[in-house]
Amino acid sequence: MKQNKGKFVVCFLIIVILLVLLFPFFVTLSTAFKPLKEVYASPPHWIPYRLWWRNFSDVWTKYPLAQYFINSFIIASGATLLNMVICIPAAYAVARLKFVGRKFLLFSFLVVQMFSPIIVVISLFKIFARLGMIDTLSSLVIVNTVFTLAFSIWMLNGYFSTIPMEIEEAALIDGCTRLKTIIHVTLPIAMPGVVTTLIYTFIWAWNEFMFALTLINTAAKKPLTLGLYDLVGRWEVQWQYLTAASLFAVTPVIVLFILIEKQLVRGLAGGAIKG
Amino acid sequence: MDKNLASRPKVKVAFWTTESTLAYLLLLPAIAVLIAFMLYPIVYVFLTSLYKTNRIGNLVEFIETDNFKTLFSRREFWEVTIRSVIWTVLAVSAKTLVGLTIALLLNVDFKGRKLARTLVILPWASSVPISAMLWQWTYNYDFGLLNYTLKITGLWKHPPHWLGYPLSAFVANLYVDIWIGIPFMALVFLAGLQSVPPNLYEAAEADGASLWQKFYHITLPLLKPVLLIATLLSCLWTFNDFNVIYILTRGGPVNSTDILITFIYKYAFSFLKFGPAAAMAVVAFAILLILSLLYAWFYFKSERY
Repeated sequence: MKQNKGKFVVCFLIIVILLVLLFPFFVTLSTAFKPLKEVYASPPHWIPYRLWWRNFSDVWTKYPLAQYFINSFIIASGATLLNMVICIPAAYAVARLKFVGRKFLLFSFLVVQMFSPIIVVISLFKIFARLGMIDTLSSLVIVNTVFTLAFSIWMLNGYFSTIPMEIEEAALIDGCTRLKTIIHVTLPIAMPGVVTTLIYTFIWAWNEFMFALTLINTAAKKPLTLGLYDLVGRWEVQWQYLTAASLFAVTPVIVLFILIEKQLVRGLAGGAIKG
Repeated sequence: MDKNLASRPKVKVAFWTTESTLAYLLLLPAIAVLIAFMLYPIVYVFLTSLYKTNRIGNLVEFIETDNFKTLFSRREFWEVTIRSVIWTVLAVSAKTLVGLTIALLLNVDFKGRKLARTLVILPWASSVPISAMLWQWTYNYDFGLLNYTLKITGLWKHPPHWLGYPLSAFVANLYVDIWIGIPFMALVFLAGLQSVPPNLYEAAEADGASLWQKFYHITLPLLKPVLLIATLLSCLWTFNDFNVIYILTRGGPVNSTDILITFIYKYAFSFLKFGPAAAMAVVAFAILLILSLLYAWFYFKSERY
């Protein structure tokens, strides 16, 4: 009896917390289904008089939303690909090979991972200007790769290290070359780690805003975050479109994020939560 | 991890060169990229901070520490720096407290716990810049649903014009930052709680310990390593939060919500004063370096490298 009462209190508190935490999402849903007239009604109301589905199609024709999506997708997949190419060998090296400076490198990756992009944005702006890469998607591919690289190496290093040495050695003794062993033995076993790292980079690049704001001027090259920000900057914001567009923009990354959330927390907190 | 390397039997393996050469070769692209786009930019920021710059950021004249001197003599700079500290301390404390509370609640076995856990993640899982835009609408004075809800539920009869005044705008920004940061704290504490052996509680219960005693004498001490690393991480993220402030208020009204990170950006790309901006970046770098060294050190200790 006493225990049941305790559980009831817990459930009640959780519901209150969820109502508070999800508040802006409720606002988003409510607004996305309203016509303009209802959006700017004073006083406002929560439930739309009737569900105004048209916002979800109008937003594609009234704004270059598809272009923003394509740009974000190019930047995020470009960064993910580049990140993988660079980070897999590096993570393998720190996890598997003995060399002078290994610990120092691991430590440096961990420190570097935490630096604010703002510290270097002034310099990077100059560098990209000198390279003639201002207002290009490739500049964003590069910065997104750079700022996810250290953490990716860390995460993957963690995965590689959990694979028993013996498995690889068996393959090596059987006459596989080192490269073949990595491709056919190590990588498949570390696949969950590779996928986690991949998703992490993709999400990071998809959500990046500050570098896009600094490096991109042309409307046709803007990624989603910046494109939507432009909508907010207008005199009278069409919030019903903005909320509809953000539902499109945010849902895929939320799903991806929930897939990797556990590994992410583990990677960030390290041995402190391994018990 | 290290143990694995150390206990490794000496097998002669056939590959074209020695182990360390291979390692350096594999690491070369990563290190090259980090030097070119991370280390060099940091060095360049230090350099810029010692120069007079023109409007496109070219270094014009070496002026030693003049940028720092002018910076330190300006009240604005100190206001922003102090605000960054207050911002970080308030936000991290709130995230820690609320996160811990949620973790304790989610650690209770009840129906729908999994769903609740997933829903709690959403503020973190969502895109920060887009969330900040949605919050701007939520905070809207005339048409926003926040003030409307506060009024009709009677929680707050006369809610403020959130983004219109310095103090309320600061609180509004702070709240969004806390909102984004809570899920990580809750999840990391929950993971910590779940690694506490249940027999410890059983033993304490047998001795007649109260709920608070169990928390204070068992849970809290065992959570200490998680608490430490999570708060350090949270400090770094909070101090670095650019998106929320820039998008919600752009540091306004009149710089009243700027923290160091947004101020650096404003100085560089709105005022085009790259020298002073670089000097501020150097200050921020020093603060971040200390925090991240601490974080990395504790992380290494916990992993027993």
